Amino acid sequence: MKVKSRFDRTFDRELLQEIKEKLDQGLLPQWLQTDPDIYELEVKHIFSRTWQFLGHESELKQPGDYVTRWMVNDPVLLVKTNSGEIKAFLNSCTHRGTHLCTADFGNKKTFTCPFHGWSFNLDGKLIGIVAGNKVYGEAMDKEEWSLRPIPRVEVYEGLIFGNLDPQAMPLQEYLGGLKWYWDIFLKRSDGGMEVRGMPQRWIVNTNWKCTLENFGGDPYHVPSVHKSTVEMGISPSDPLYSSYGHQVVLEHGHCVNVNVASPGAKQTPYQGLPEEMWPMFERNLTKEQLEIFYKTTVIVGSCFPNLSFHCPIHGSEGHLHNYLTLRVWRPLGPEKIEIWSWFLIDKAAPEELKENAYKGYISSFGPSGTLEMDDTEIWARVVQASKGTMARDRHLSYNNLYNYMMGMGKVEPDTSWPGPGTAYPTCYVDFAFRGIHKYWLELLSQGVE
Amino acid sequence: MNAELQYEISRFYYQEAYLLDSRKFEEWLELLTDDIRYRMPMRITRENKDGSNILEDMSYFEESKKSLTTRVKRLRTTSAWAEDPAPRTRHLVTNIVIEDGSTEDSLVVRSSFLFLRSRAGDSEMEQLCGERLDVLRKVNNQWKIAARKIIPDQAVLGVMNLSMFL
Repeated sequence: MKVKSRFDRTFDRELLQEIKEKLDQGLLPQWLQTDPDIYELEVKHIFSRTWQFLGHESELKQPGDYVTRWMVNDPVLLVKTNSGEIKAFLNSCTHRGTHLCTADFGNKKTFTCPFHGWSFNLDGKLIGIVAGNKVYGEAMDKEEWSLRPIPRVEVYEGLIFGNLDPQAMPLQEYLGGLKWYWDIFLKRSDGGMEVRGMPQRWIVNTNWKCTLENFGGDPYHVPSVHKSTVEMGISPSDPLYSSYGHQVVLEHGHCVNVNVASPGAKQTPYQGLPEEMWPMFERNLTKEQLEIFYKTTVIVGSCFPNLSFHCPIHGSEGHLHNYLTLRVWRPLGPEKIEIWSWFLIDKAAPEELKENAYKGYISSFGPSGTLEMDDTEIWARVVQASKGTMARDRHLSYNNLYNYMMGMGKVEPDTSWPGPGTAYPTCYVDFAFRGIHKYWLELLSQGVE
Repeated sequence: MNAELQYEISRFYYQEAYLLDSRKFEEWLELLTDDIRYRMPMRITRENKDGSNILEDMSYFEESKKSLTTRVKRLRTTSAWAEDPAPRTRHLVTNIVIEDGSTEDSLVVRSSFLFLRSRAGDSEMEQLCGERLDVLRKVNNQWKIAARKIIPDQAVLGVMNLSMFL
């Protein structure tokens, strides 16, 4: 007799419909968090079709500069060509597939494969074959053996993205309204933002959706996870302190939270950036963006599927500074991610501010950050407790549902908000989460019979 | 090499490791000079011809005595979740080489470390290893750490966070 376990329920249209119905009620089945079948579908139908962040233009200054990156399991070689163009290739030799360049960054004129010595120029063209004519003869057309380009590479305000789907919509269309919010930090200064050093990388035992959500729509976690900073007197004791401002739901699963100071608290115009920079902001941003930026303390959000951004005021040694950190949550499996964390600061900022903001970032975010280290602990705990029979039961017979109901039927959109997207007048709502999962489900559904 | 000095400095590091593993962080702070520069630059992967594979421009720690004190104070709150419940840690310090003992009250010391951490019920240990380059200075007849540069061996850290001191 064949015994079917609860795990065996087939992932099909019927099940998708059930997930959708739950989502509409503000509920998310816990089994979706780390289910191995779901993970496979995500790699196939989400990460092979959406725009993924590869790096920032300031990381590639001179022709020949390169950095190596990953799109989940695809190694990527990002290079600046002699004509100044940025190109991305699969970092794999076309002869026998060897991982071509294993350094994090550098400058080269040619990339030579150590296996049989085939070499490629900055445009990815095969230019050298060891004993070429003698072993392959004239018939071998080198043109046919160029490095395989990442099908689509597009740049927005210095942010370089790649897409494995040749048919994907243009990057600008994909980003949609998110661009308006990004411009507040990407375009505010002349010359935009620049990367310092290289991204920090470390491993956390969690699922990529957990971190995407955390930055995307979870200011509600701040008073609890980061309570130590409240106890230290660094953060306010008002449990609503990170709720003030707007949570904005955008197309394609993107979301952003624009926090402002607590009512009655002292204002720090333009995130505490020095007054000498203000005329620049006024020149580079629209009236509406400027109005929002003036009051903003934190802009934090996520660009589906695995890029998050955080532009806060944080600091060390009693000084608060503004900076930007970009995050890639690279999935390494259903229960593991590799975090890539970039530090960026305005190219046009005074040197002293750049240095102080860098120290502020190190002390608050990144692997040693007094704020982020507690985040990683909690993210790992979510996954730790979501792997068992009760959590992973696809029939939901243990009521294994996450609560995403905050704000439902209670908070209405603020129609006076000047930016794009649907803006809610508080950040303690789960609208962003539901936006993420709605798009997630839409993409997943396209891969299910 | 002065064997007695080697013994004295080795003892100093074993005592430091004991304080950290026993969570006597305030006593550990006493081992640091007030002007300490405590840094942990990044290890990166570079081709050999490109030179150093240590990136000074971006780091994991960029600390002063004041900021280290803040970190210790934070660990004493009731909600420093990365360290509560407290993980069990083991700092193993070895390959201690006094590189420069040319002055009586200042030394340059290189050592290797292996840091192990056991968290809650996880049977797998998190680990981190690398090199430390210290400047020790004698203050009131006691050795103190005046500068520390910690260089991890991994370009991608295999630990969830750096909530510890190294």
